[in-house]
Amino acid sequence: MLKQMGFIFDADCCVGCKTCETACKNENKTQPGISWRRVTQVADHKYLSVSCNHCDSPECFRVCPERAYTKRRDGIVLIDPNLCNGCMDCVGACPYTAPKFDIISHKASKCTFCLPRQQMGLEAACVSACPTGALQMYNFKQAYPKGTVAKIEGFPDIRLTRPSIRFFPSKTRERYFLEER
Amino acid sequence: MRDGGNKVYRNVCPRNCYDTCSMLSYVQNGKLEKVEGDPLQGYTQGRLCTKGYAYPEYVYSPDRLRYPLYQYPRGSGHWERISWDQALEKIAGKMIELNRRYGSNLSLAYNKYSGNIGLLHYAIEGMFNSLGAHTKPFGDACLAAGKDALHYDLGKALSPDPESMAQAGLIMIWGANPAWTAVHQLDFIKQARDSGAKLVVIDPLFTPIAAKADLFIQIRPGTDGLLALTLARMMIERKQYDRKFAENHLFGWEPFLSYLQDKISINETSEVTGVSLQAMEKLASLYASHRPCAHWAGFGIQRSSNGGQNVRSISALAAITGNLGQKGGGMFYLHPSEDLFPRNLLKYARPLADGKKDREADINNFAERLLFFDKPPVRFLWIASRNPLSQDQDLNKWQELLRTLELVVTVDLFMTKTAQMSDLVLPAASHFEEVDLNISYWHHWLALNEKAIPSYYEAKSDLEIARMLTRRLKEISPGFSNFPDELTAEDWLAKEFTSQVYTAYGLTSWQELKDGPHKLRAKTPWLDRKFRTCGGKFELYSNEAKKDNLPALPRFSWPQTKGDYPLRLITPQNPYRIHSQYNALTWLSGEYDNVLQINPKDAAQRELAEGDWVRVYNAEGEIIKKVQLSNSVPPGVVVAFQGGDNPVNILIARTAADMGMKMSGSRNAAFYDTYVDCVQGRR
Repeated sequence: MLKQMGFIFDADCCVGCKTCETACKNENKTQPGISWRRVTQVADHKYLSVSCNHCDSPECFRVCPERAYTKRRDGIVLIDPNLCNGCMDCVGACPYTAPKFDIISHKASKCTFCLPRQQMGLEAACVSACPTGALQMYNFKQAYPKGTVAKIEGFPDIRLTRPSIRFFPSKTRERYFLEER
Repeated sequence: MRDGGNKVYRNVCPRNCYDTCSMLSYVQNGKLEKVEGDPLQGYTQGRLCTKGYAYPEYVYSPDRLRYPLYQYPRGSGHWERISWDQALEKIAGKMIELNRRYGSNLSLAYNKYSGNIGLLHYAIEGMFNSLGAHTKPFGDACLAAGKDALHYDLGKALSPDPESMAQAGLIMIWGANPAWTAVHQLDFIKQARDSGAKLVVIDPLFTPIAAKADLFIQIRPGTDGLLALTLARMMIERKQYDRKFAENHLFGWEPFLSYLQDKISINETSEVTGVSLQAMEKLASLYASHRPCAHWAGFGIQRSSNGGQNVRSISALAAITGNLGQKGGGMFYLHPSEDLFPRNLLKYARPLADGKKDREADINNFAERLLFFDKPPVRFLWIASRNPLSQDQDLNKWQELLRTLELVVTVDLFMTKTAQMSDLVLPAASHFEEVDLNISYWHHWLALNEKAIPSYYEAKSDLEIARMLTRRLKEISPGFSNFPDELTAEDWLAKEFTSQVYTAYGLTSWQELKDGPHKLRAKTPWLDRKFRTCGGKFELYSNEAKKDNLPALPRFSWPQTKGDYPLRLITPQNPYRIHSQYNALTWLSGEYDNVLQINPKDAAQRELAEGDWVRVYNAEGEIIKKVQLSNSVPPGVVVAFQGGDNPVNILIARTAADMGMKMSGSRNAAFYDTYVDCVQGRR
């Protein structure tokens, strides 16, 4: 592959505002209830924003009986809705629950890395909307950015699919809480 | 503009919010396809917030009101679709009938506030002003105490450009959570931190911004002022104040010094605020070593009966340490750019006949005031840009008021709590369906809001409604109103651009705003150290405050009300709503809508577990919420978010902050002086 596109998520910057989630809906017009990107709170004000991680070894691609998934030369994993038969194998197989099942169209869909935007020279909608710079696009054929780690609290096992995502972990901070009444 | 098959328009989010985002709307065949941030606006820098990106769903939400609706009997849910002509007929007929019955228009009242803060939404004020003497609201429900506090200190509440926070050495946030309420500020905070600045957050709640701070200090609600005064004392004792500034630009240094020496002790502060000596020491050392300091007084700290004093105390600290008028530093609260504009619709008036006067009702005590009015009593109420039955205090009085009204008209986009209790509901246009002008009270940008799409079904803007109703009134009773209904939105817009406005924003014609927002050409306030007070100095000791029966010095006193209930209720914004707005959308999470956040210790005492239904009550009333155990909330405090199906404001009694009379004529609600208790409940 020429590239392996993916995301860098800075847990130290993310404030859990879900702007990335809504920006994705605004851009991709997913059906109500379908979120290609999801922000979750893993501990008190520690957040995780996850979409498809365009894995090096995508489980969705492997399990799909219709061969609806492709892995492009830039690393992006796509699903062809015309080939999807709605069996939901990919939905169950993905450790990051990236493929979402739409009960109306009876098909799975997932993050496209905003290919149409990229073709216009724009960043993915989630990345460009993030108010804190917590999300970045990154080509993992390059050396990993300094200070990033492979996994943080709340993120599923990475050994199976080798997801194209790295993390800046949260820093420890000085806090003084009220203790008694 | 064009972009592929889309037409691109400039819009501005008109919500009552710090950020007033400039947006680009992509429209195809008259349908809003998507929204983007406008990259030409330097504060929001091409980004929106989570609510902003949800506008395509908001505009076409199946819950949006499409047609005028008539409900009989009121509150029954028996709605009937009627035409605009029928609606106008009913309204105009009632207005004229009441005028004949009472011999004046004083029985006609309106209540309008911040649901859409675009400048042309003052059409409602203009429409009522044109009727001659009537009953109107006055005052400021949100920010009045803080505004007065800064007025006493500085002579005018001016804040620096929030983009300048990028040059701060220390950013100290008191009672604000920009991670939820001003997300675009985060970039400027980040820029400052990337160059070595530190972020301090002082808040009773461990908020998302607190979680990012270099130093977070949790404080008992309402005691911020005491901590600020104590920090001031520490700075003075350690000779870390600005002596030159104190000698030349401070009025009241001596009495302030003796007040601090006599009344403020670090140990006592620690007892009252709950902040440990160690935390104060840490704060003092950061404060002394990182300059300039941007002090951000959030609106939360002034929603209590000592709220104005809290703001004055923080501003005193900023002053004695020489942080005012320093680029990057200073006192951030709000910036009243709107004052530059003539606001012709707001000020539009019909000359009143001799002896005739409008009747004014304090917006913070609206229902009670309206009930009090007699000869004639109020019988007609117009509600626009407002959802008082969710957001006002003293909701029991509102129920009483409704019983006395003969016609209640609500203009809204959705069937709000207030709309549900109206006789007539008129569908309001979204900002994509109207022309407007938007001025932020925080950042310094001015932006034009273009009409991007046709009206959603029969929705209309406040100005269109004012024009239509006026026309109908004049037809039935010539001379009933003098509102110039022939003027279009563009006509009113053009009138706002005085030569002063053109100069202030570097414009030669308002149409230039079609090419992008313009920024106010403002210097950092107080750079010249010339304050706008009588003596030109910063007033630690304010004779004006004294004249207004307030302490001349910033002083700490406990919030007045404690009540019979043990838990203090705080009702902040949640990231997916603004007050009661946005609750109809699937794109936005409803996770905070019906929860009561409570410290596990308080929950354990009441045998409450996560997810339990809980009955929250006080003398005002009760609501049912779902327990969310949270270590972000200190013991003795509970948090419920605003709006939703079961609005928390039912628990909020008529309360008032300490200040507000000076600039707004009324003291804002002390929302955070509410105390409650809770027990296991059942839904």
